[in-house]
Amino acid sequence: MGDPESQGLRRSAPLSTLASAFAVARKELGESFRDRQTLIYTFVLPLCMYPAMFWIMVQGALVVQGQKGAKDVTVGIVAAAEDVAAVREAIEVENDGGGNVTITLLDETTETASSSGREDLHALVESEEDGAPDAILFLPAGRSDDTPAELFYDSTDSRSEIARGRVVRSLREWSKTLRETAALDRDLDPEVLDPILVRSMSVAEDKDKGALMLSLMLPMLMIVMCVLGAFFPAVDLTAGEKERNTAETTLLLPIPRLGLHLGKIFAVCATSMIATTLNLLALGLSAGHLVAQLSGMGDGKFSIELPVGALLSVAPFAILFAFFVSAALTGIASLASSFKEGQALLGPVQMVFIMPAMAASLPGLELTTTTAWIPIVNVALAFRAMLIGDVETIPLILCAVSLILTAALAIWFSVRLLSNEEVALSSETLSLRRLFSLLRAPRAAS
Amino acid sequence: MSAETPVGDAIAINASGLAKTFHDPQRGPVEAVKGVDLDCQRGEIFGLLGPNGAGKTTLLRMLSTILAPTSGRATIDGIDVASDPLEVRRRIGFLSGSTGLYPRLTGRETLRYFGKLHGLEGEALDAAINTALDAFDLHDFVDGRCESLSTGQKQRVSIARAILHDPPVLILDEPTTGLDIMASSDMIDFIESRRQAGTCVLFSTHILSEAERLCDRIGIIYSGRMLASGTLDELRADTGVEWLEDVFRELVRRADDAALKETQQGTPAETR
Repeated sequence: MGDPESQGLRRSAPLSTLASAFAVARKELGESFRDRQTLIYTFVLPLCMYPAMFWIMVQGALVVQGQKGAKDVTVGIVAAAEDVAAVREAIEVENDGGGNVTITLLDETTETASSSGREDLHALVESEEDGAPDAILFLPAGRSDDTPAELFYDSTDSRSEIARGRVVRSLREWSKTLRETAALDRDLDPEVLDPILVRSMSVAEDKDKGALMLSLMLPMLMIVMCVLGAFFPAVDLTAGEKERNTAETTLLLPIPRLGLHLGKIFAVCATSMIATTLNLLALGLSAGHLVAQLSGMGDGKFSIELPVGALLSVAPFAILFAFFVSAALTGIASLASSFKEGQALLGPVQMVFIMPAMAASLPGLELTTTTAWIPIVNVALAFRAMLIGDVETIPLILCAVSLILTAALAIWFSVRLLSNEEVALSSETLSLRRLFSLLRAPRAAS
Repeated sequence: MSAETPVGDAIAINASGLAKTFHDPQRGPVEAVKGVDLDCQRGEIFGLLGPNGAGKTTLLRMLSTILAPTSGRATIDGIDVASDPLEVRRRIGFLSGSTGLYPRLTGRETLRYFGKLHGLEGEALDAAINTALDAFDLHDFVDGRCESLSTGQKQRVSIARAILHDPPVLILDEPTTGLDIMASSDMIDFIESRRQAGTCVLFSTHILSEAERLCDRIGIIYSGRMLASGTLDELRADTGVEWLEDVFRELVRRADDAALKETQQGTPAETR
């Protein structure tokens, strides 16, 4: 016994720190992907979440719209006797989805409906009694500008809102018909009655509108995806390892401790990047379908295509950011002694990343030489600028420098914590309040 | 009690004044190990005997580089644990109740992973794994995930993991704790077999019969201090009692008396 070489075991030279880190990362990734929860969070959820979410949104919108259209409403009319038939016809024509408009002719006429009578109309709309109108149209006799038509409705009641919408649309159409009839009676072009006709013509192509929408949405989503992708493996490889009673086994590995800790951060980072990429892929595939469905319901149309070229240019920044997030989450999760406590510890911490990302999606905020130094916000703004192709070189370089510094700082922070004997072996979860004293404590053997 | 200090290449483990102090936020500094001297030779089985909380695990963790000593010096196979912990880890096999197996890896993957990181490659790695499979009869379950193995099967894979790289020093922390009779018996057989292989085995236990049966020399550790070390006969001669249990109790009684005297001598000064 003694020197293993003399026992016939031929050994290669010890692995370098980086080679050790890759060996550990490979093992951790392989092991993680055998875990059902990691598989769900990293692969299944990203690939299924967006199609499922968007399908539910589309179906929900269709259902809501269908329900609105199919709902029967009752509209009361108070109008001069000669107008009643025409108003009734106009409102009954408006039927946006199979729902009936029941017209209730009220006893009052425009002549008799005094101000006190209007209060009665108010009360009648608010009434919960069966057969009470959902909205009441008060149409003054003569239809002059001085005495506009009034529509009584309850904005807190959905039926009343639907009734209001139908009456307003009906009256708009009726008004247009009346105008055109009057013009034709006088041998005039109806458009003469509307001397300044404005048609808004956006110079942006449909895909540009989609790109703008993506530039507002994607940076925040990418940051959220990155954080969520790192969350589970960060806990699994630190607190989970303590819970599985393998932390000490890992510390016995004959490799430099720096390589061991870097390997864990690499594995978390790789999982985070995989989850982000799959999220983007699923988002790109399902967002186009969603927009196509929803734009058909609204007035405008635009298309969404995932900007592959822009995303590739964003990739280096995304990788640096993933290192930053992975290292920070891994370091903090190492304070926990069990998986459950790790999740509880990281819950609030992930908001530290997500909140600035949300703030950065505010319109008007841009990547400047100042905002380029604000962690997280700078990444979101850089993503946005790169996605819409509005990039200024100096702020972008400053952002890259800032990202490299924050990623390096986070890795130092994480390695420092993971190297702490108390953090590595404690059977109790250590409080975040002890963070600075733990960082200052002497490091274990390397 | 004084045991002869082995010299030269025969010394596989040496500790001199090894101490470890933890900083507890509530209790302040806690001295877990207080200046322990220890040496073990190649081919020797050294038992570390002590009650729970005596400092056995902390001492073994320092020797295996899991913990860094606060003061003192220790060498494994001539390598300083503080200045070259990486080389020390390459020369030891360490096993304790808290060195679990990675549950989602198979036994074979575990052996391959550790073997590779120990610098074994290609045929050498395959040969080492096959030797371990034969030696511990792992063939039937080595390709199953470790999480699905029985306690005894896990123990055998763990032993194979610890000695795959044929280390000259084996450190075992309470290796039979939690094992059933059969697994415990297998472990005792394994430790005995290491003596023939020329390995230095340092193991801690609080089971006196294990120490009596296996150890060439025994060290009694109590309250972080090594009270005595030597062969069983030397310990008997020193304490004047026959049974190891009585030897242990006598040494602990002496240590408690000495501590009490120290406290009494210190009390007037403190209250003055």
